[in-house]
Amino acid sequence: MHGWTGNILRINLTNRTHKVDHFDEEFARKWVGGRGFALKILWDELKPGIDPLGPENKLIVTVGPIAGIPAPNTGKTVVAAKSPLTGGYGDGNLGTRVTEQMRKAGYDIIIIEGKADSPVYLYIEDDRVEYLAADEIWGKGTYDTHDWLYKKYGKGAGVLSIGQGGENLNLYSMVRSLEGRAGGRPGIGAVMGSKKLKAIVIKGSKPIPVADPEGMRKLGLEDLRKVGEIDKKTGWSIQGTTGVLAWCNEVAALPVHNMRKTHHPEAWKIDGERLNNARVATYGCPNCTMRCGITILDHEGHESELDYENIGMLGSNLDIFELDQVASLNYLCDDYGLDTISAGAVLAFYADAIEQGAIKGDFKFGDAEMAKKLLGLAARREGEVGNLLADGSLRMARKIGHNSEAYAMQVKGLEISAYNCKFIPGMALAFGTSPIGAHHKESWVITFELKQTRRDSYGPEKAAKVIELQRIRGGLFEFIVACRFPWIELGWQLEHYAEYFNKITGLNWTLDDFWKVADRIYALMKFFWVREFPFWDRTRDYPPMVWFDPKNADTEGPIAGKYLELDKYNQLLDYYYEQRGWDKRGIPTRKTAEALDLKQEADEVEKFTKLE
Amino acid sequence: MSTLDIKITIKLIGPFVNQLGFSEKTMSFPDGVTVETVLSSLPLDPKRPKIVTRNGQAVASGERLSHGDRLAISPLYSGG
Ligand code: SF4
Repeated sequence: MHGWTGNILRINLTNRTHKVDHFDEEFARKWVGGRGFALKILWDELKPGIDPLGPENKLIVTVGPIAGIPAPNTGKTVVAAKSPLTGGYGDGNLGTRVTEQMRKAGYDIIIIEGKADSPVYLYIEDDRVEYLAADEIWGKGTYDTHDWLYKKYGKGAGVLSIGQGGENLNLYSMVRSLEGRAGGRPGIGAVMGSKKLKAIVIKGSKPIPVADPEGMRKLGLEDLRKVGEIDKKTGWSIQGTTGVLAWCNEVAALPVHNMRKTHHPEAWKIDGERLNNARVATYGCPNCTMRCGITILDHEGHESELDYENIGMLGSNLDIFELDQVASLNYLCDDYGLDTISAGAVLAFYADAIEQGAIKGDFKFGDAEMAKKLLGLAARREGEVGNLLADGSLRMARKIGHNSEAYAMQVKGLEISAYNCKFIPGMALAFGTSPIGAHHKESWVITFELKQTRRDSYGPEKAAKVIELQRIRGGLFEFIVACRFPWIELGWQLEHYAEYFNKITGLNWTLDDFWKVADRIYALMKFFWVREFPFWDRTRDYPPMVWFDPKNADTEGPIAGKYLELDKYNQLLDYYYEQRGWDKRGIPTRKTAEALDLKQEADEVEKFTKLE
Repeated sequence: MSTLDIKITIKLIGPFVNQLGFSEKTMSFPDGVTVETVLSSLPLDPKRPKIVTRNGQAVASGERLSHGDRLAISPLYSGG
């Protein structure tokens, strides 16, 4: 077998033991890597109904066959577990040196089980695994934690860590790597914290098994150069993802005031142009020649790296239009190890609930200083307010009551990222059907909706586009494990990824083979949810009700008076389910499951609900 | 400039700002000008995929513009 090491490092923190298990080529071909591996292992090894923050949950760190190999944007790793935020399948990817180091250490998958009796961090070097006391870093933010570990192990080590958010079981805490980004929006940091695992440090020295090492090396380096050239020519990384902010403001898709508004006259103050002008450094993941992280100085003078999602959610969505203050909130989230998207959504929901009179409090939209304080409370779960905010917007709404769930901007418990779909049906469908809760990473159809079809259409072409993009973004890029940006932003052809995959594995796959794996993974992710929530119905694929409320429609601007229509959204969901071969509840039918080689999994899910 | 000219505000997005050297500008065009004519008057790479909106709504290249319209020209972003 080429491309995969076939090794799973299984670590048990309860009794501080580890062993190496193996997977075979059939498993590799069926699930490929990253999300595919994590999902299948969690499906097979977790009993339904377990407490996501209990020792029975498992933290998976995994890569794919092209991960870590020099080629366009292959520096990503997937972290996954049963999500404490949503109760369903949860994962995320992040740029990190762990990707390459883990492969060089000889592993495609690390499974972390049990729970340590006191805070630890793991040091993994090839076959060696050490369980080390984390007393000196427990309680520290991710910046200090990384610095401490780099001093000890050198800058070449791959490091994943949590901040105070993960330690204190904030449900939207993430896993962070200073060599890249943060990942695991659905509370994967809290899972790490629940195991009292502060960090993982990895170093490796073995060769990565590649079928055609020389051919791949030449091709990968050449393509890295080409991608860098395209980026320079198009100027994409001048503003990176933040270019989209001004556009969202133009077309009424910007999150403003807990997504109650879609544009704002002061949005220009926090747009990509201002950000680029304030840039003090550029930041990127390993193996990337189109580095998109723009770093500026925040209000307190820290370097803070921003992208569109965090400006949208911690800026406009909170009515904060001072870039340095947005950078401060972003810095705090990064240091505490909190998801910037959920943190912004949670604070906006809190301000909105106070404004609506549903709860008493002294936080108002636009108050950056109070927002900073609240982030600290949420990260440390301090007091009643800290505990309320640490649980995410859906649980908050259920505590607050007064119909506030209608404007808790989440799907399946995961907060919606920075695209306001008040009147963007296809993107609302993308959030509704995203398999880990609302996330833009699975499918992004807004420009398609506006350019190739009518904004007010709820036609089958939108469902088809959502599925096409889910196959590519939530499928291919999550299971071969690479950053999608060369393809989505620079037009780097998908065929290149098949070429890399074949050179690495020695197989002869076409894109169609990838799409089958993607559909299999999407079907099994749905089964995972259904096994956890057996009375599953389509309402779980609905976006928040406020988007269907005529009273919430904009009163001026490009979409004045417009709102999503529930009966039409249901029709769109029907198109989506039909095209996927899922039933009216949104569950894959037995026929669909069997066509995707999921017979065993279908038998298992039938213990919980009847399949059609 | 004829008195019959109309004013159109051009809003550039993302790297187009750096390529053309301005972010937003109100310019005069002859009455009846189309989106296509406005676009071709700007030094933009015609082959580069773009999304153009008029007052926040997607617009076809043949459409005629009116006085006071706002035309936003963006690269075809595909989402972060
Ligand atoms: S494009 Fe941005 S997110 Fe993707 S690998 Fe490069 S720096 Fe990381």
